[in-house]
Amino acid sequence: MNRAALTAALAALALTASCGGAGGDGGNAGAGAAGAPAAVPGFDGTTIRLGVLSPLSGPVAVIGQPLTTGNKVWFDQVNADGGIAGKYKVELVQEDTQYQPDVTVQQYNKIKGEVAAFTQVLGTPSTLAVLPLLRADRIVAAPASLDALWVREENLLPVGAPYQIQAINVMEHYLSDGGGSPQSVVCTMIQDDVYGEAGQAGIDFAAERMGFAVANTQRFKAGTENYAGQIQALAGEGCQMVFLVATPTDAGKIWGTAAQARFAPRWYGQSPSWVGALAQSPLAPYLQANVLLAAEGTEWGDTEVPGMQDMVSRMERFAPQQQPDYYFAFGYNQARAMTALLEKAVERGDLSRDGLLAASRELGAVAFDGLSGEYRYGPAESRNPPRSTTIFRVDPAKPFGLATVKYNITSPAASAYEFVKADI
Amino acid sequence: MARPHRNLVRDHGQDLRLFGTPAARTGLVAMLAVFAVLPTVVREDFWLSVLIYVGITAIGAIGLNLLTGYCGQVSLGHAFFIGAGAYCTAIAGGTLGLPLPLWLAAAAMVGAALGGLIGPFTLRLRGHYLAIVTLGLVFVGEHLWRNLRPVTGGNSGTSVTASTALGPVDLSRIEVAGEVYSRNQGWFWLVWALVGLTALLAKNLVRTRPGRALQAIRDRDQAAEVIGVRAGRYKIAAFMVSSAIAAVAGALFGAYQQFVSPDEWNLLLSIQYIAIVIVGGLGTIFGAVLGAIFVGALPALIDRYSDVIPGVQTSVGGDGFISVFALNQAIFGVLIVVFLVVEPRGLAGIWLRIKTYFRTWPFSY
Amino acid sequence: MTALLQNVFAGLSLGCTYALVALGFVVIYKATGVINFAQGGLLALGAYLGYTFSTSLAMAFAVAVVLACLAAAVAGAAVERIVLRRMVGQPPFAVIMITIGLLFVIEPVITAIWGFENLQVTNPWNIDTVTVGGLVLGVRDLWTIGLTAAAVVGFFLFFRHSDFGLAMRATAFDPEAALAQGISARRVYAVSWAIAAALAALAGITLAAGPGGLSPSIGFIALAAFPAMILGGVDSPTGAVLGGLVIGLVEALTRGYQDHLFAWAGDNVSVIVPYLIMILILLVRPYGLLGTRDVRRI
Repeated sequence: MNRAALTAALAALALTASCGGAGGDGGNAGAGAAGAPAAVPGFDGTTIRLGVLSPLSGPVAVIGQPLTTGNKVWFDQVNADGGIAGKYKVELVQEDTQYQPDVTVQQYNKIKGEVAAFTQVLGTPSTLAVLPLLRADRIVAAPASLDALWVREENLLPVGAPYQIQAINVMEHYLSDGGGSPQSVVCTMIQDDVYGEAGQAGIDFAAERMGFAVANTQRFKAGTENYAGQIQALAGEGCQMVFLVATPTDAGKIWGTAAQARFAPRWYGQSPSWVGALAQSPLAPYLQANVLLAAEGTEWGDTEVPGMQDMVSRMERFAPQQQPDYYFAFGYNQARAMTALLEKAVERGDLSRDGLLAASRELGAVAFDGLSGEYRYGPAESRNPPRSTTIFRVDPAKPFGLATVKYNITSPAASAYEFVKADI
Repeated sequence: MARPHRNLVRDHGQDLRLFGTPAARTGLVAMLAVFAVLPTVVREDFWLSVLIYVGITAIGAIGLNLLTGYCGQVSLGHAFFIGAGAYCTAIAGGTLGLPLPLWLAAAAMVGAALGGLIGPFTLRLRGHYLAIVTLGLVFVGEHLWRNLRPVTGGNSGTSVTASTALGPVDLSRIEVAGEVYSRNQGWFWLVWALVGLTALLAKNLVRTRPGRALQAIRDRDQAAEVIGVRAGRYKIAAFMVSSAIAAVAGALFGAYQQFVSPDEWNLLLSIQYIAIVIVGGLGTIFGAVLGAIFVGALPALIDRYSDVIPGVQTSVGGDGFISVFALNQAIFGVLIVVFLVVEPRGLAGIWLRIKTYFRTWPFSY
Repeated sequence: MTALLQNVFAGLSLGCTYALVALGFVVIYKATGVINFAQGGLLALGAYLGYTFSTSLAMAFAVAVVLACLAAAVAGAAVERIVLRRMVGQPPFAVIMITIGLLFVIEPVITAIWGFENLQVTNPWNIDTVTVGGLVLGVRDLWTIGLTAAAVVGFFLFFRHSDFGLAMRATAFDPEAALAQGISARRVYAVSWAIAAALAALAGITLAAGPGGLSPSIGFIALAAFPAMILGGVDSPTGAVLGGLVIGLVEALTRGYQDHLFAWAGDNVSVIVPYLIMILILLVRPYGLLGTRDVRRI
């Protein structure tokens, strides 16, 4: 299988090289001593082109758009400072995937010949669909989801603490500071898809480590209009704490239904459940009293954290119309990791695909200035993602509606969580 | 001795020939030539992958046209059978490691079996009722794909590692006389050869006794029964054949994409197939292929040249008021409406008119 | 017991939304013989218009509801006038596809105007509740049930007792005979679309005024109203209301007892229960509970 993939890759490379006419194939161009990198697909000697495969329209555009703006603002700043290694400008090639795997494959094929790497591939199904192609073409891509699957994949460059880590740290917080004990009735309410299952996996792991049991799990289909049944079930079970994995539209309905049913457990929400507008909705008093959010980094506009200050000022400069948004911050971090990779590749004097893969293996720890925990890259089998999570409470006075409760929790269980290579 | 005019048909054998006239034979040769040469000319992986998806869709559309166009049974459940074919391949081609002809056959058999299970509904339901029941099938299917975890991988989906070797030739890397052809090129040949094969099978099916029976049922089922057509049997058979073809399309889809997830087999996919059949022309095999090319390649074209269309937003924060996707969707909707209002016989109808015009030229009116 | 009643109440509220949408389906079907797939689009359009009136223009909510229903009615009649009138006499299947095409056009128009973000509709209900004998009832749900009941009663009074209702019934029964009696079929068609759109808009606004707010996916709920319409019988207004309530109740109850009774059927089986019920009932009664069995001649 591996050999077949490799030969297919070589064939594909030979093809793109022959029809692209850009000269030099990815295999050996410019490899060797650290001189100026040779021109390769996606790099013409002055500008590095990076691909973005993101749902820029359709229902998931609310995630794709700010995330891509985050990518763009970071690289705008890099370009304003002179570029990668001070001299190579970065240009993004954006394609709309509509969050559909087959469209993602088409768009991937459309631009793979003209980009050096993909700085964003959004969505777990889309990433899984292009992964075999990435392996065959030996291209590096940064997936835009906090799935644990990506950690051990050589062709992927994930950022941030995976959802499992967030969930484990939530339990740490609940049991130590949140008034819970192993005897508390802990429940989960998760979206019935991969994203929901990642959170559930974290809670299950925590349950084993910390000695509590999950009393009830409610699954829901995203985009349902009525959550009364699930809320009734949770209330009937007497849940004292509910871990919620949802997207903002559903989270709003769920919390609204809970508020109506006067069901007031301690809610912990996974970061994508939140959107700033919720703090301004009529639900705000309920949310303030009952909801905590788990996410990375610090509250929006925190002046204590230099990375946050930089991000906010850059956003105001390059994308003034952008609202505070976690997906924006995620895209921003993602671009920072990609920049670290590109600088490493330039240092090695090789911006070709194999050069980038090699650079990714040699890449050390990348820090995110307090916006996300330090990610230790390197060979896929020894990578170590950040293990810290920040807990927020709802505060309508804050720009993003969230205020820090506890900054950077790292529970022993989260540190012990092992990421295994999945058979994908 | 004076030779008869090239269009003159003198006996039944001549009438039955698919490519009887010189023009038709030229067309056949041209199509074969395009088939053989296109992937070596269009080497861009983008266009090749678009054409591969179009070919897969064309196969599925031929299947749906047999059911909807010829037998008059409107099914909104086509996506269900396509999904079933894809998951079947994940097992037959991936887990069991069967070779290409066998996993295709396995998918076809599973499709036919499922079709045989659903088909009997057509005996009791007609028209709108059938359309909505088959619509329900898509949702029931999605529930199954999400919950039959051992088979489908549940929400995470499953990777499809079906082998593409055809005897000694591996289609993902064909080597002929020192020239190496890529996976996309190999797949283009595989898929479009299967399009040709399916079209031929379907064509022969519809111009023989079963085909005439189907059309009689479509036009007036009770009248058909009166003249001795077993309407019930033929309806179920049509459902089975159509689902088998759909499952083959799904098998190819899964094997080409190498990964399938339960979100892909939704109502939109079913509607897309119905739209293809309509835009192409109901009750024509050729139309289904034309429709697939049109509906599949148009979004790609718009996407490719979106930067020169005014008012279209191609990047975040870029100019324009409508995104490529929204534009595509709107155009898709408008197309369906326009075709039905202006040319209910679809692209195949337009093609037929052009052909007739030139055949009778200069006396066309 | 309280839990059961609570689930029943949730089911009633959901069922009312289904009933409104299904009634819209039936009104159009009865008059024109078309199943209108664009009903979900009209629902979303109505909800977004409601948002514009009530939040963007800061009108009183009651005024906004009425205006949104009227505006949606005008849009519905316009669609009929511009597109569907050309299709009179075409096979029903072709007309269904036209309405699907319309759905594809309405959606991008909505997102181009209002965007993809989740919007909060200013409304007087928010998350207020009243407690009745241990039951916690959402004010919005109560209003949804009340408004639906009013709309349904109003519709039946109009349909059964007004002259125009009689004209509609006559056209549905035999268009040519109605035409011969001097009834304008065109006006009947246009009014049917207007009524259906207004009903959909009402359903849309009451949904959007709920805790989750308004997003473009709101129109999907119309898909779940298909089983309601088919269950009741595609040409029976009473059947549509009945079907809507049945489907809503069953869905809510399956959901409520998922853990105890339906764990074997997989997660979220409540989502497909409407379709399963529909299929089961159609096997016994192919024309729905109250639908007319069509008489077919050779």
